Amino acid sequence: MKYILLMYAPKAGFEGYRVWSQTDVQAHMAVLRGINKELTESGEFVDTHGLGWPDRAKIVRAGKDGEPVTDGVFPETKEFLAGYWMVDVETAERAYAIAARISGAAGPGGMPTNMPVEVRQVMSGPPEELV
Amino acid sequence: MKYILMMHCPKTGYESFGSWPKEDIQAHIGFMKQLDKDLKASGELVAAEGLADPRQAKIVRAGKDGAPVTDGVFPESKEFLAGFWIVDVESPERADAIAARASGAPGPGGKPFIIPIEVRQVMSGPPDDLR
Repeated sequence: MKYILLMYAPKAGFEGYRVWSQTDVQAHMAVLRGINKELTESGEFVDTHGLGWPDRAKIVRAGKDGEPVTDGVFPETKEFLAGYWMVDVETAERAYAIAARISGAAGPGGMPTNMPVEVRQVMSGPPEELV
Repeated sequence: MKYILMMHCPKTGYESFGSWPKEDIQAHIGFMKQLDKDLKASGELVAAEGLADPRQAKIVRAGKDGAPVTDGVFPESKEFLAGFWIVDVESPERADAIAARASGAPGPGGKPFIIPIEVRQVMSGPPDDLR
């Protein structure tokens, strides 16, 4: 079963990140890289991506002629997706365990960030009767 | 440049999807399949995934011992990520144009559904000086 682990960061967290000490950022990255390596070795790794800074996020809708109508930036939004992992695991509990490890990655001063990670199942496609 | 196009759906949208006439759902899915096909043909499609029903969404944090602490389901959340595309494009404008096309996918009665699509740049990795 595929699950996506969505790492949400408060906007204040994104801004705070810029002022973490270099040592703290490096320690944080090292933990995440270690998780990626283990997931690759266990065959559970599908994909991971980090997203660009939320101060450049835009919402796009189709205009009347199909042309993009863009809206944003969103200074009032409190939480943004910082990045995600996709994993292929045997059980939902295993997905939660991986999410907890990500959440526990070291932050400033080596303390766990305890970042909330949303866990959602990924579908392989629409139900057959609707295709 | 890689961009992620995140299709956010109001919770009521998820709930109403099941009550669309079957031909409207088929037209919607047909549109999305054609979009994937076109993006594959142009070499711009990196990934596309649909997420399972938000009623199964959970938030996970690391507990004191690193064990997962799960929280959810979230009946009060108004919006959920329904699915996303990652595209590799020449310009941000092209990402916006693809997002607008997805936004205009047909809804009930074949009318453009005008789904809000969040467009964010995807980073290839942390800055070199922080590895």
